[in-house]
Amino acid sequence: MKRIRVRPLFVWIFLSGFAALFLLSDAGESGLLGFCAKIQVFPAFFRWGITLFLFAGMTLLAGRFYCSFLCPLGLFQEAVHGLGKHRLSGYHRGTSLRYGILAAVIISMATGTIGLLHLLDPFANFGRGITQILRPVLVAANNLLASFPLPGDMPRFLHVRPPAPLTPFVAMAAGIFLAALAAWSFFRGRPYCDGLCPVGTFLGLFSSHSFLRIRFDEGSCSNCGRCEAACPTACLSARKRRVDGDRCVLCLSCIEACPHGALRLGILPVGEGLQRRAFFRVAAGLGVAISLSAIRRSWTPSVLPGTAEGIEPPISPPGSRSHENFIRKCIACSACVKACPAGIIRPTLMAWGVSGLFQPVLDYDFGYCQYECKSCSTVCPTGAIEPLSLEAKQRVQIGRAQFHRDACIVVKNGTACGACAEHCPTQAAHMVPFQDGLTIPEVDASLCIGCGACHFACPASPKAMTVRGLSTHGSARPAKTPGEGPVLDPLEDFPF
Amino acid sequence: MNRREFLKKSLALAVGTSALLLRGSAGRALATLVSGPADLAAVRGGEPEDMFDRGLAAMGGMKRFVSKGQTVVVKPNIAWDVRPEIGANTNPALVERIVRRCIEAGASKVYVFDHTCDLWKRSYLTSGIEEAARRAGATVVPADQKRDYRKASIPGARILRETYVHELVLQSDVFINVPVLKNHGGAGLTISMKNLMGIVWDRGEFHSRGLHQCIADLSLLRKPDLNVVDAYRVMTRSGPRGTSEKDITIRKAQVLSTDIVAADAAAAKIFGTEPSSVEYIRQGDALKAGTMDLNRLKVERIAL
Repeated sequence: MKRIRVRPLFVWIFLSGFAALFLLSDAGESGLLGFCAKIQVFPAFFRWGITLFLFAGMTLLAGRFYCSFLCPLGLFQEAVHGLGKHRLSGYHRGTSLRYGILAAVIISMATGTIGLLHLLDPFANFGRGITQILRPVLVAANNLLASFPLPGDMPRFLHVRPPAPLTPFVAMAAGIFLAALAAWSFFRGRPYCDGLCPVGTFLGLFSSHSFLRIRFDEGSCSNCGRCEAACPTACLSARKRRVDGDRCVLCLSCIEACPHGALRLGILPVGEGLQRRAFFRVAAGLGVAISLSAIRRSWTPSVLPGTAEGIEPPISPPGSRSHENFIRKCIACSACVKACPAGIIRPTLMAWGVSGLFQPVLDYDFGYCQYECKSCSTVCPTGAIEPLSLEAKQRVQIGRAQFHRDACIVVKNGTACGACAEHCPTQAAHMVPFQDGLTIPEVDASLCIGCGACHFACPASPKAMTVRGLSTHGSARPAKTPGEGPVLDPLEDFPF
Repeated sequence: MNRREFLKKSLALAVGTSALLLRGSAGRALATLVSGPADLAAVRGGEPEDMFDRGLAAMGGMKRFVSKGQTVVVKPNIAWDVRPEIGANTNPALVERIVRRCIEAGASKVYVFDHTCDLWKRSYLTSGIEEAARRAGATVVPADQKRDYRKASIPGARILRETYVHELVLQSDVFINVPVLKNHGGAGLTISMKNLMGIVWDRGEFHSRGLHQCIADLSLLRKPDLNVVDAYRVMTRSGPRGTSEKDITIRKAQVLSTDIVAADAAAAKIFGTEPSSVEYIRQGDALKAGTMDLNRLKVERIAL
């Protein structure tokens, strides 16, 4: 009887789940998907520094199970390789380059640049790949179907949607990354886990002698080598009957491949694992965790945007508190990008400088921050955008509207306009008497939350209303509207 | 006076008297029969849907506007993603009743849409209009894609000679305009004429080329068969979006008219503004899109 292979099914289901996290606008707010996003190594680390030690402890006990059960990029590689089941090259020693990469990430963060982590973090790379490549493609396909001519009165179930937010350079980078990785893993299994991934390398420091490991049963092994050919991280040597625990991700491919049941997942006796080498590795791992935790608290971005002359400060999402807080915690995974119903949160190449590679900004040329919405803050896995109540969000000042009088229609054309005041949800932009019975906008900065409604609505070119990002978010005063509630004053007589 | 004329007049008198004697709807129907339907009906003192029914009866009933098998567009104001209590959008119960009456009159299809300012999905939902209109049997469609708009020329327009207009407005047999009366930061007031900015694609053009004249010009494009002004919850300041319920005065009024300029003139007066002080009403009058002189119309005043 053929054994049912559970693993591929699991891989595809979980991979679809992670893809849904970056495709469906309200996925990740809560529930299993949200939980899975929040327990990714670096997102969790930016949220709660202590988690690195928890991951270390768990890996010490159970190996790199994280890589084959919780990491979307690991699942992606396994799924792609599974499509071709290309015969793998067999055991090779792990490259020491991986330690260099991990060290480079730590050093760059210590010197004030988080960009290298954005470039390498598996979760962020997966997120950008889905939001910048797959999502635009799916939306375009939907729109093609939705605009397909239908006979007569046939009801439409698909509606043309606005195109998914896409930043050309970021999409290009994400596309190249995904395509290269897909090609590579099609032939090589999990090359990213095996040498490039800083998360994998960090966990590998603890997993080399973990209690839960793949074990050989010498007696049953026939030296057929099928296990070695099935190992996607090339960490299993059939000849030496050895599995390199630091690179093994516990995908269990070898166990499945073995016709004799000579491999199994087992708990090793404590003593067997404890060698001096292992001790040094764990010590090094703890060193990494301690230094990262220290850096997390103290690091400041080397260059803050908007401090340079002539550069307008960008706008960070409500809930991010300050530019510095945002740059420090955002991993550039694009979860907020897909959550924004207005499509104004857009990844950038370097709007936040080198340090903020791929981090998003609010771009009011595409729309404005909806007054009744707080979606971005509910999905951010790192806490770069902290959850806010709607009342709080409606008072947070993320920027400040700037009125450029000479560009205003009322001044330029001498005709009425007021599109800005019309869209302003707080009446920060309001109309005051001008001349010839016309009214002209005025901005009450203490009421302005910087939502960009005025910028988007302004029909002038160049815009007479722009929004300058606030490097530290403020709090708008509540509108001093007199009265308690609606005035009851029914019409008593017709005035005509 | 010949015999025929005498008989006719006597009959009219008899019907008229019995209309006075008969109370309730039968009497009202008779009165309408005698004097003909009103050009403008102003109603006060009831719930929006009840005021509509009374006003509609004075206007000659829905059969006057909708015949069996016709397609109808009902265009409320759904511009903003706010609750009905804020009064920034048309009252959902009113929209529901209008749709229901259209379907009862035999409309084959009733479309409801608005080119919203906030995101359409959220505005349709939060305003309560999508749900209410669906309940009554309407087809609620989004209007956020340019491909649904057709270039249309506006004969007689001074500035806005052509613009992109939603195809449903151009194609449907009947067009019912259902604005809400509000204060408006840019235009002063927003009522029926201003509500038509929700049937065009490019609103920015209005603002950049002369807001009031463009609004007046647009009212020449397709005269709504009926305008129903919701003046139940009236936003008296901070319009058109409003900041809270504090901006609302509950006026419990409604204006129905076949004349879009007259509807705005009457609503402006209910708001407390002289119609001639609102530039687009004045210009609409000048363009003969309608009249702001209510004395020239047959006006019904109904108190509930």
